[in-house]
Amino acid sequence: MNSSLLTPSSSSSSPHHLQSPATFDHDDFLQNFFSSAPWPSSALDDDAPPPTSDSSLAGFHHHDVDSRNQITMIPLSHHNPNDAVDVNALYSGFSAGSLPFHFPQGSGGGVIKQSHTQTQSQATASTTTGGTAATPQTKPKVRARRGQATDPHSIAERLRRERIAERMKSLQELVPNGNKTDKASMLDEIIDYVKFLQLQVKVLSMSRLGGAASVSSQISEDAGGSNENTSGENQMTAKMTEHQVAKLMEEDMGSAMQYLQGKGLCLMPISLATTISNATCPSRNPLISAVKEAGVPLSPNTATTSILNGNGAPLVTVKDSSSVSKP
Amino acid sequence: MASADKPINTDVPEKDVFALHFLQSLSNLRRQNTFNSPEKTNDRVKKIKKAAYVSMARAAGGTSRLWSRALLRRAAKETNKVVRFSRRKKRVTWLRRRSNRRDPVEEEEKEAERLRNLVPGGGAMETSKLIEETAYYIKCLSMQVKVMQCLVDGLSPK
Repeated sequence: MNSSLLTPSSSSSSPHHLQSPATFDHDDFLQNFFSSAPWPSSALDDDAPPPTSDSSLAGFHHHDVDSRNQITMIPLSHHNPNDAVDVNALYSGFSAGSLPFHFPQGSGGGVIKQSHTQTQSQATASTTTGGTAATPQTKPKVRARRGQATDPHSIAERLRRERIAERMKSLQELVPNGNKTDKASMLDEIIDYVKFLQLQVKVLSMSRLGGAASVSSQISEDAGGSNENTSGENQMTAKMTEHQVAKLMEEDMGSAMQYLQGKGLCLMPISLATTISNATCPSRNPLISAVKEAGVPLSPNTATTSILNGNGAPLVTVKDSSSVSKP
Repeated sequence: MASADKPINTDVPEKDVFALHFLQSLSNLRRQNTFNSPEKTNDRVKKIKKAAYVSMARAAGGTSRLWSRALLRRAAKETNKVVRFSRRKKRVTWLRRRSNRRDPVEEEEKEAERLRNLVPGGGAMETSKLIEETAYYIKCLSMQVKVMQCLVDGLSPK
């Protein structure tokens, strides 16, 4: 029985190809395997060789399915305990006639050829689906954890997501106001903060030139997108804004505020603005000259530092002294 | 993507290095004839800003960071200089293309797009790397702001 299986393609292999046992005799061989190290369970996580592969080795011995499974699986664990890919290579190797281990090569090649396609399809199916309930598992197998697929793609996805979450956490500490738990709002905060810092750099690079007109032109450029180059036009733009605001304020405070907000400005009493500018940088000229109201940049996006670092040009001047509006 | 999680790189950018580079570039700019003309303030502004960013990129570790590389490349393009960087990992763009094709529909990818537009060189990075570079970029930016603020404070007339 055994020898009949060995002969078909025994021309290629001699029994002494086997690494571990000295002589190639089936009973000795199998006994060696059975007495070897205990079956590892973790290494064979995803690669359940299908039971029908045993049909290819059916003539090999009259063991039951379990031991046949163990026969095929043990060399893997014995030689490469952590190499789960080798199972596939093993099965694909059957058709090619070359095995990663020097397993009974002749017999394997001879017998497996009959049903190698079936084996291969089964092997690929089982390795990709991984631990499905269709295959009756032997005891050494470890089933995938509940709710988590062992698909390599989803594992990569999970890893990626974890890495992203970990980095976001470290980002949270950098950004002020990082106490938001929602990821979306955290991202918004981060983006706003980066924009704010970039604008700060821009304003700082402007202020050292002492160009007050350039400061206001830059502010209006950021808010309205206009691009003025000469200082005369800049002040005209600022004055136009003031006129517009004054006109709007006569009709309706709400629309005036909305107009200002559209430009990224807000209204605040002069005393408050001077207090702010004096508190943070006492050496600086106050940005607001003697007027009752002044518009200041509203949100961090428009860089409150523009007030504090500029060199003494008013942003908005209002002619009438009747009303003082608070933001 | 790397299979193992490397520890997050948190180098502290050096203030002194940045200040040194920045002051050098400023003095270089000052020597130019067209610099101190009262008109064309925008040009001056842009030049100073560019000098600040370039010196920041140099201080932050030269070509070892993606965004600093992108900054330097952008600056060199205007002066028509040929900048040579050591190409360590061209694999990044391949990964980026793969991930781009895979999920542009995801929520976080949309937000990552906005971040990519802000951070220089962000178009060639995967999301996880992008976040790491953003963290470093924020640190460098805040350092830059502090240094420039101190300079302005020191140099402005009382």
